[in-house]
Amino acid sequence: MNFQVTAGVDMPADTDRAIIGRSVPRKEDDRLLRGGGLFADDVTLAHQLEMAVARCPFPHARILRVDTTAAEALPGVVQVLDGRRVAELSEPLTVLRPVPGAPSLPYYALARDRATHEGQPVVSVVAVTRAIAEDALELIEIEYEPIPHVTDMTATLEPDAPVLHPDVLESNLMASNVDRAGEPEAQRDAAHAVLADRFVVNRVAPLPMETRGIVVSWRSGARALDVRSSTQVPHLVRKQLAESLRLDESSIRVVASDVGGAYGLKLGAFPEDILACLHAMLLERPVKWIEDRMEYFRASTHGREAFHDMMIAADKDGRITSIMNEYTTDIGGWNSPFGSSQLSSVTFTGPYRVADAQVKRNVVLTNKTPVGAYRGYGQPEVNFAREVLLDRLARRLNKSPLEMRRLNMLRPEDLPWTTPSRAIYDNGDYLRTLEMAATAVDYERHWAASRKPRGDGRIVGIGLSSFVERTGYASARFLANRGSQFGAHESVTLRVNRSGGVDLYTGVSTFGQGSETAFAQICAQVLGIDYDFVRVHAGDTGASPLNTGAFASRTLIAAAGALKEAAEAIRDKVLVIAAMALEAETDALEIRDMAVCLKADQGRSISFKDIFNRAITGQGIPEGIAPGLEATAHFEPRSASFSFGTAAAVVAVDPATGDFEIERFVMVHDCGVPVNPLLVEGQVRGALVQGLGAALDEELRYDPETGQLMNGSMMDYFAPMASDVPPIELLHTEVPSDVTPFGVRGVGEVGTIPPAAALTNAVCDALVDFGVEISQMPLTPERIWRAIRAGAAS
Amino acid sequence: MTASTNRVEISLEINGRTITQSVPVRMHAADFLRQTLGLTGTHIGCEQGVCGMCTISVDDRVVKSCLLLAVQLDGARVRTVEALSDGDRLSLLQEAFKRHHALQCGFCTPGFLAVAKSLEAWGRVLTRAEIRDEISGVLCRCTGYEGIVRAIEDYLGAVHGMSAQTEVPA
Ligand code: FES
Ligand code: FES
Repeated sequence: MNFQVTAGVDMPADTDRAIIGRSVPRKEDDRLLRGGGLFADDVTLAHQLEMAVARCPFPHARILRVDTTAAEALPGVVQVLDGRRVAELSEPLTVLRPVPGAPSLPYYALARDRATHEGQPVVSVVAVTRAIAEDALELIEIEYEPIPHVTDMTATLEPDAPVLHPDVLESNLMASNVDRAGEPEAQRDAAHAVLADRFVVNRVAPLPMETRGIVVSWRSGARALDVRSSTQVPHLVRKQLAESLRLDESSIRVVASDVGGAYGLKLGAFPEDILACLHAMLLERPVKWIEDRMEYFRASTHGREAFHDMMIAADKDGRITSIMNEYTTDIGGWNSPFGSSQLSSVTFTGPYRVADAQVKRNVVLTNKTPVGAYRGYGQPEVNFAREVLLDRLARRLNKSPLEMRRLNMLRPEDLPWTTPSRAIYDNGDYLRTLEMAATAVDYERHWAASRKPRGDGRIVGIGLSSFVERTGYASARFLANRGSQFGAHESVTLRVNRSGGVDLYTGVSTFGQGSETAFAQICAQVLGIDYDFVRVHAGDTGASPLNTGAFASRTLIAAAGALKEAAEAIRDKVLVIAAMALEAETDALEIRDMAVCLKADQGRSISFKDIFNRAITGQGIPEGIAPGLEATAHFEPRSASFSFGTAAAVVAVDPATGDFEIERFVMVHDCGVPVNPLLVEGQVRGALVQGLGAALDEELRYDPETGQLMNGSMMDYFAPMASDVPPIELLHTEVPSDVTPFGVRGVGEVGTIPPAAALTNAVCDALVDFGVEISQMPLTPERIWRAIRAGAAS
Repeated sequence: MTASTNRVEISLEINGRTITQSVPVRMHAADFLRQTLGLTGTHIGCEQGVCGMCTISVDDRVVKSCLLLAVQLDGARVRTVEALSDGDRLSLLQEAFKRHHALQCGFCTPGFLAVAKSLEAWGRVLTRAEIRDEISGVLCRCTGYEGIVRAIEDYLGAVHGMSAQTEVPA
């Protein structure tokens, strides 16, 4: 088996009946391994046309004139739309998760008079092939007048910065929100030690291997818009399309079959979705649009870019007395469906006992590609700032960073804990993960030793990074207060079939997270049916109950409850039908091997298949019982659950060049009860490598002069390759959450959170004698080399 | 006139079948496989030769099909992911991927399978570091690669009758 369970873990014993907790093979794998997945571009419809989009090449420009005559004359071109026409035909795009307190910045699928970022759609063309549509783009004349732009997050708040949306805002500050508790200023002023710094977090690309894409057809007589989309939220896309296209939701079906990676990027409707639908509706012909990689870098959404002004105050023993964090996130030129990271405010105090604290979030606009959700959504960013500053403060106090964390960490008996931003941490054992990580890398001994170069001239450093991850949402009420357009629940429909199996319908689409597998496991366990007899139908709004969708590491903690309720309802009715068939009371029955039998006489039984057929036909069921055997359940968990853990990185740094090797990376992590340990390991490792990429290399860079993206291609943007990934050791603990069904916690994003701080702390630890302090990601050898020089100079 | 009316006839052996087909001269091989032949298991992620989603086997060499023109396949012997399994049964290699959770969204999987298959020709089990180097022409954003490396190591061990050393993270 793949999954290494290590000392300190309480795994539930595998009984032969239990399927929750087992690493069963994934439902998704066979089709994907055989080239039989169905991704957006794999669907081709008869008479289909393809769309291409002309995009603004400037960061900020007025559109003076659009002439599409020559493009329209090109043989094979069927239709061209411009911004004026699109504004007549549709409503502006809507936002799923508005920034609290911010004005809405309505924008249409095509820019009309002005574009606010490079890559913003200006004209769309459909033609018989994509190649001809792209040829046509070359023939479109668009006269732009570039106007002053701003891409830098600090400069955008200067009084002389060009204001992006002057009709609704006086400056490029879109909104500010404060959360606080206690007396953080007074505590700071009275503190023995106070440290503060600005931490700069890089703008990165989520980079799913499958780009965005849509295939849409319209039958006007039936008023039926059929949409195939690469999305993680089919039901929310349906809602947004209805709003923008002025259709009833009942006219729209959105299907996401296989989705080639999402990571938060594919969280809602984008301008191109509206455009493809408009063309299809006007022409009554199917239209396909598949984003190419150059478009992806400029016109989807980016992630993360932020700076955090973080302050930590402590008494002379190292007890944290106050944390204040004012952070600024860049949302780019428009409000994307999900907007920039919001969770820094929730987890800014991390796993520590801090009662006096304040967090302030500022959201600013710049002339760059909009920022949307990306795995972690603010948690990696704030973790970097807090954990790096904490190490610095420990060194200032002559304490080991381990000791400092130990001293301040919330104890199991402190939980549940209400944070200064009023999030409620559920139960957990944070300290155990810290001790396990420290032991794994022999931290105490390392700390006590001197930082002498080894034989190869490199100096070894170890860095710790502790974290919590919010998984799921507190409640629908919490979301309502923030204007979010979705709930905190999940839903499922179970329907038995004549072959003796169960069809499971969910609005959660499949993008690699393994939900088909995990859902089938839970269904199988509760109903007592074989895993192989559960077939999952995912991501089709025409077949699944309305739901929320797969994001915020929330799917499983909500869906588990819905699955449990629906499966119990089916099971109850199965027993009632079986009781009649076997002439027994339901209490005398048990489920075994896909059949119901008498507890006292297992020879007397009736198969599931028989029972299902009776229910489906209504023949041979008790009087007064309705025919049919299906159940739909909706479930909202009691509250969010918090995953937690500690990472430790061991690096060897060359003090002459700043080059470094990651020799070990240990992550101790708790996601409650793992429904499928193999999936958990996959989620943690995958997110971790994304976190490492952002920590080490990845950065979308804009030219300050031209305002253009400088590395917007696969050639220039370096996502980790197999040979870049350092050795990773995973250790797990398992404290069942007391607020979720089965004790599960979310796991999808946790790996992205600790790497940047663990690595930065390790490098600073190695170079402590050089006075090296690093406050900016990514952690490149050049940055380290500069810090060494700066340290030597001071 | 537009290039799309410029067509050339090519013949090739694809997944054991010989076909003759007229193709536009400017069409790349990945589009040809996907759009003309309906072999949608080969994916496209960048059309720039970087991501490796389009990796296939041509005359027993691993190539990125987005960097080839369809006309360059004339006379070639081509294998795509669709040819890997034996009817409904997964091949040993595919089984190894499944066992080691070497795929999540699965978009990159056909590319990795093509590379993995080609490593058989080394005649031995590669070290983990060698495997990592060899598969670095294909990106995976989901798995962090560990499962892929384990699966390939396990598979090569089976093919070459050696048991791979396991459980050393690398
Ligand atoms: S599509 Fe061929 S390498 Fe990316
Ligand atoms: S499994 Fe999703 S990119 Fe590899």
